[in-house]
Amino acid sequence: MGLVIVASYNVDANPVDFAEGMPNLGIIISEIFVLESLIDDLKYIPTALWAMLETLQMAFIGTVIGVTIGLPLSMLAARNLNSKFVYAPTRALLAIIRTFPSILWALLFVIMVGLGPYAGVLAIVMYTIGFVTKLQYESIETIDSDPMDAVSSIGVSKFQLIRYVVLPESASHLLGQILYMFDYNVRQTSILGIVGAGGIGFFIINYIKFFEYGKAAIFMLIVLITVLAIDWISVKVRDKYIIKSQHGMEVKTK
Amino acid sequence: MTETPSFSLISTNKIIQMNDVWTSYDSKSFALSGVNLSIDRGTNYAIVGQSGSGKSTLLKLMNGMMIPSKGTIKMDYQTPNMNNKTFKKMMHTIGYIPQSLGLVKNISVLDNILIGALPRLSTMQSILKQFPEHEIQEAKRILKLVGLSGKESRKAYMISGGEKRRVAIARALMQKPTILLADEIVSELDHVTAREIMDLILDAQKKMNLTAIMVHHDMALALEYANRVAVMKEGKKILEIGVEGDSIVDFQAGDMGIEEIMEMYNTDAKE
Repeated sequence: MGLVIVASYNVDANPVDFAEGMPNLGIIISEIFVLESLIDDLKYIPTALWAMLETLQMAFIGTVIGVTIGLPLSMLAARNLNSKFVYAPTRALLAIIRTFPSILWALLFVIMVGLGPYAGVLAIVMYTIGFVTKLQYESIETIDSDPMDAVSSIGVSKFQLIRYVVLPESASHLLGQILYMFDYNVRQTSILGIVGAGGIGFFIINYIKFFEYGKAAIFMLIVLITVLAIDWISVKVRDKYIIKSQHGMEVKTK
Repeated sequence: MTETPSFSLISTNKIIQMNDVWTSYDSKSFALSGVNLSIDRGTNYAIVGQSGSGKSTLLKLMNGMMIPSKGTIKMDYQTPNMNNKTFKKMMHTIGYIPQSLGLVKNISVLDNILIGALPRLSTMQSILKQFPEHEIQEAKRILKLVGLSGKESRKAYMISGGEKRRVAIARALMQKPTILLADEIVSELDHVTAREIMDLILDAQKKMNLTAIMVHHDMALALEYANRVAVMKEGKKILEIGVEGDSIVDFQAGDMGIEEIMEMYNTDAKE
């Protein structure tokens, strides 16, 4: 508790400012709901939808490429599949990748490839590699060692072991992680526009800069609806595929 | 089959030779202390003992998953070590069924059986999961042999305990093995199912001229099915029995008195 107070003082965060700032929020809300400008702002819905579609495409491409690169890396990073000399450097590399938040990656790629969605996609790819690999090697390490030992005792190659034991046994986790990653990437991509890396965030930040809160609100509402929809879809997909396999495991143990 | 076992390394008919084998999981205690074992080709060999007597360790030594800290082991004149390339070739023909069975839960029964054929596949075939037609036919034949017809597309987690054992046996047979190692494969099963499984193994063993080495908890079952029975206690082989039909034809006591052996046998029978 004491630490919180000291830290708050240091970052100049005090509840009085928060309370005094409340009316500003009121001003913004009242500006949003000025009737004639609201009707005017509604015309921007198609633009917002297009921007959202671009965002979704960026998140989708980024997730797919990130997972494609991350999956083999996770095989190298898993302790139960490799010697120390393989997994330790791989993990170090991944830790470095994970250190940067996606927005920093986006800045870096904007400098490299210029403004626009391409930089955003690259940022999402890097972020996905860092995280999906960690999630995946952790789930590989929790795979039951019995089938691994039994199949290794046949003298199969490591590749065959991965193809016929590791992948099937971690597949349900992988699906869940990809869905989670996509879900997360949509939200992230929505703000990457702030640094000029494309997507709907670019519109939102510019409308806010020019005090066009009404338009910004429309765009944010589209983000909100989309994220909720994706969340709902991923819950459905999870229920269908993942819960089923867990139920199967219960049947096994009786 | 029931000749007096000799511990010399010269005999040609010996498929497994263990000479003064010691192993330890940690530096303080030994899992095995000075075990000598010699198994003829084609024998149905049983290893019996209480938990912690070192019987599972013996199997792990035989397929190279463990290496002795002292002593020598020869499997068909090769030293078992799973990291050795030459021995890895031999592992292809050693069917090992661990106590946990080690089935891949999320794939089908048929796919689990086909895993036994993996060493015979090229890299490209394994990437594409393209088993040659004759391997699939062979897997289906074995599936029928172990009594799992009609269950090939079930996922391995969906089938019963007895069926899981049949799948594990089928996977081992798919390897076209010369040696079959099975660790307490019937321990958790009811009397009837246990005998069905044992009959199945005995049948396969005779047809394929396998050397079967099976670890058991139940002395009666071992005596019923095996040609030779080794009794383990605290990391030592205390007794080896040769069986023919219903009678014991050979009885070799190790470094333990007969009273102790009888006492141990009685505790086993009570369990």
